[in-house]
Amino acid sequence: MTALLPPGTTADAAMLQVRQLTARFTTRDEAVQAVRGVSFDIARGEAVGFVGESGCGKSVTARALMRLAPEGSSVEWGGSVLFQGHELLSLPEPAMQGLRGRRIAMVFQDPMTSLNPVLSVGRQIDDMIRRHAGVSAAEARRRTVDLLGLVGIRDPARRADDHPHQFSGGMRQRVLIAMAVSCQPDLLIADEPTTALDVTVQAQILRLLLRLRQDLGMALMLITHDFGVIAGMVDRVHVMFGGEIVEHGAVDEIFAAPRHPYTRALLDAVPRLTPGGAVQ
Amino acid sequence: MLIRLVLARLLWSVPILFGVSVVAFVLMRALPGDFAQAAAGTTEISAEALDTMRRQLGLDQPVWAQYLRWLTDALQGDLGRSFATKAPVLDELVPRLLVTAELSLIAGAMAMGIGVCGGLASARLRGRADWVVRVFNGLFLAIPNFVVATLIVLTAGLYFPSVGIFNYVPFAQDPLANLGSMVLPAFSLALAVSVTISENTRAAILEVASQDFVMVARAKGLRRGAILVHYLIRNALTPVITVIGLQLATLLGGSILIETIFTIPGMGQYLFDSISNRDYPVIQAIVLVTAAIVLFVNVLVDVAYARVDARVRYD
Amino acid sequence: MTELAPAEEAAAAAPAVPTRRRPRGAVLLGIGLVMLALMLAITLLGPVVAPHDATRTSPDSLAGPSAAHWLGTDSIGRDVLSRLIIGGRTTLFITFVAVALAVVCGLVLGLSSGYLGGWVDQVVMRALDIVFAFPVFLLAIAVVAALGPSVPNLVLTIAIVYTPTLARVVRGPVLSIKRWDHVEAARSVGVSEFAIATRHVLPLVLSPILVQTSLTLAQTIFTVTALSFLGIGPPPPNPNWGSMLSEARQFMELAPLTVIGPAVAITYATMTFIVLANGLREFLDVGHR
Repeated sequence: MTALLPPGTTADAAMLQVRQLTARFTTRDEAVQAVRGVSFDIARGEAVGFVGESGCGKSVTARALMRLAPEGSSVEWGGSVLFQGHELLSLPEPAMQGLRGRRIAMVFQDPMTSLNPVLSVGRQIDDMIRRHAGVSAAEARRRTVDLLGLVGIRDPARRADDHPHQFSGGMRQRVLIAMAVSCQPDLLIADEPTTALDVTVQAQILRLLLRLRQDLGMALMLITHDFGVIAGMVDRVHVMFGGEIVEHGAVDEIFAAPRHPYTRALLDAVPRLTPGGAVQ
Repeated sequence: MLIRLVLARLLWSVPILFGVSVVAFVLMRALPGDFAQAAAGTTEISAEALDTMRRQLGLDQPVWAQYLRWLTDALQGDLGRSFATKAPVLDELVPRLLVTAELSLIAGAMAMGIGVCGGLASARLRGRADWVVRVFNGLFLAIPNFVVATLIVLTAGLYFPSVGIFNYVPFAQDPLANLGSMVLPAFSLALAVSVTISENTRAAILEVASQDFVMVARAKGLRRGAILVHYLIRNALTPVITVIGLQLATLLGGSILIETIFTIPGMGQYLFDSISNRDYPVIQAIVLVTAAIVLFVNVLVDVAYARVDARVRYD
Repeated sequence: MTELAPAEEAAAAAPAVPTRRRPRGAVLLGIGLVMLALMLAITLLGPVVAPHDATRTSPDSLAGPSAAHWLGTDSIGRDVLSRLIIGGRTTLFITFVAVALAVVCGLVLGLSSGYLGGWVDQVVMRALDIVFAFPVFLLAIAVVAALGPSVPNLVLTIAIVYTPTLARVVRGPVLSIKRWDHVEAARSVGVSEFAIATRHVLPLVLSPILVQTSLTLAQTIFTVTALSFLGIGPPPPNPNWGSMLSEARQFMELAPLTVIGPAVAITYATMTFIVLANGLREFLDVGHR
């Protein structure tokens, strides 16, 4: 299984350059413009946040980077997505398949439905490793067990043979994260990774993502509707609304002095404790 | 947990089975005409001989006593003796039952094969393939199996006169020839059932394809073939397999017709001959055994589905 | 880069305005109704339309299609086309009457069982389960064999065999509808239970009943023709499609139309009801959204 992108690609500051990205969904009845000209960069190893409420187009933008259209939909992508020197929107499908999971990986929102119920979790990670690295089954399983341990699954060798329904929500999300980083992608996209989890578990998962990012040197694209999740995780933030980026900047700046009224509204939505302990 | 479910379903079937046996019994005993007369098989019999016969058959007892006697015998494996041949019904029934079972199973397997392929093509290829499959489905569902069988025999007679159609060979004698002789009959049976399976497969595949974990599989960069087999088919197949189990009743019923057309010595022929001969113990036994099989298979199907369902919907 | 596949849903970023469209299933329903009308017209006008007397024999046996006999003749010289038309009357008559009976019984059983609930429901359902345990066709054969083949017995048999499915189809919606608001409201105003059942619950159960009735009609055509194929259908001299098919087997290579005629007729009738059922299913579902 040969690499589809030249190894050791030049450490170009803008690993990912998105220019005027558009996405247009057509069904039998109507056409919807979900993304209307979005532009941003992500540098190697950088962590970037995308914040907005449901329907603002942030998830669609992420999926555009991997060219994943929902099943049964007809999508037209427009604009340019330049990743490590390659234009992803015009890459042939087989090349795109080789790139997914290997260079760009994604962690999805709902851990309860994101795993195949009939396969063991170990098998689901093995398959991905073997697909991209072409190693033997034994070697793949060895790596899988390491990964499961890395994300905090206890007794990983035994647990690798368990099926998804034998894991809790938080554990499943860890498995999915292990799967996503299994081939050491250059860019990890996390689409609302904690939204479906209990509050107590959310912090653990976020810490895990942070740690993995530091250990593996990946770039991180964190998508959420909750500003509280962004804090401490990313360097820069893009705020999206109605399919467009309405504000962007360094995290501290945004928190301190939001310019766009929508950003302000989002920030206000985050419950904060006043010095006296009251929730604001 | 699973054992409890199996026991519960089996227990549930018992009263139904009793009800079935009552129906089978009543059907026969409620017939016009003299039961003893039919047992004798001839009208030229003296009145005393007829009375003796009546006593022998226990017809002088009250009906409920007759029923109980029949039932207890049946539970011990004694399904009475055929009026026509005087041989134990069970001995005659079992080999024929096996033949019918073989025909039904082959038909079931064919229906699965045709149906799953059709459903897959319809769901994944969409467009023209979908349209073609669905039109054919509509047609094949409407043609009754005995019409298909007759048309097959007609076509063979007209265009392939040298090929023998009515050439049933027992399995024990020559397995390959036996299977060969079953192909056309099984196909006639399978066609209508394959439509149901095709529609179910199509729906199941479409449903699974829209699930999150399939999107995740694509995001992992897995190739389409791998996704098709391990993610789509393996998840879609479980509801489809339960459908086939439920179609067993249809297959059994249909094989009665097909056996008469292709002169296959199964339970269908047996039922038919015994109706003409008014061989009541046989008819009763066939009705009882068939219903018992259907009930049993339904229990199996329920259990299988619950097991898979529990895993899929554990949360 | 465009990816094209038949579309089904959109991840809408903005609310979408639905466009006007012909209701789903209207085409199918239309086709089914036309097929049904054609079939009914021909069979009802039977004796008028048929070119010959269906039971009149002639020395001109196993003839091919000709001007006098559009579909040829059978082994004793009877006109195939006329026999098909008249045979249709018998077949369809039994079918409609039997299914009507089954629908009525199914409605009564399903409504009362679902509405009254409790032990009545349990008893009725267990009884129906017993009938369900038999392969439909086997049961039909057994009952007809027991009662003897005649038109009334055939009708009765089919009604018995298909009532359980219809009862179940009725019972389902009744169970859930029972608790709806307007039923509670009517009850609180003092409307009698019977009036509630017939005037409030019944109309809402109508859609599934219509669809299932159509399906049952298709299945009944199968059962009736299959039973007569086996020789335990309506007795002679009137022709019917199943026995025509069976009789034709003897000399079918010599006169294929004697087989193809009934085959097409049976398939056409069955397909009419299946198309109707599918059309109704799609059409009515939309109406209920």
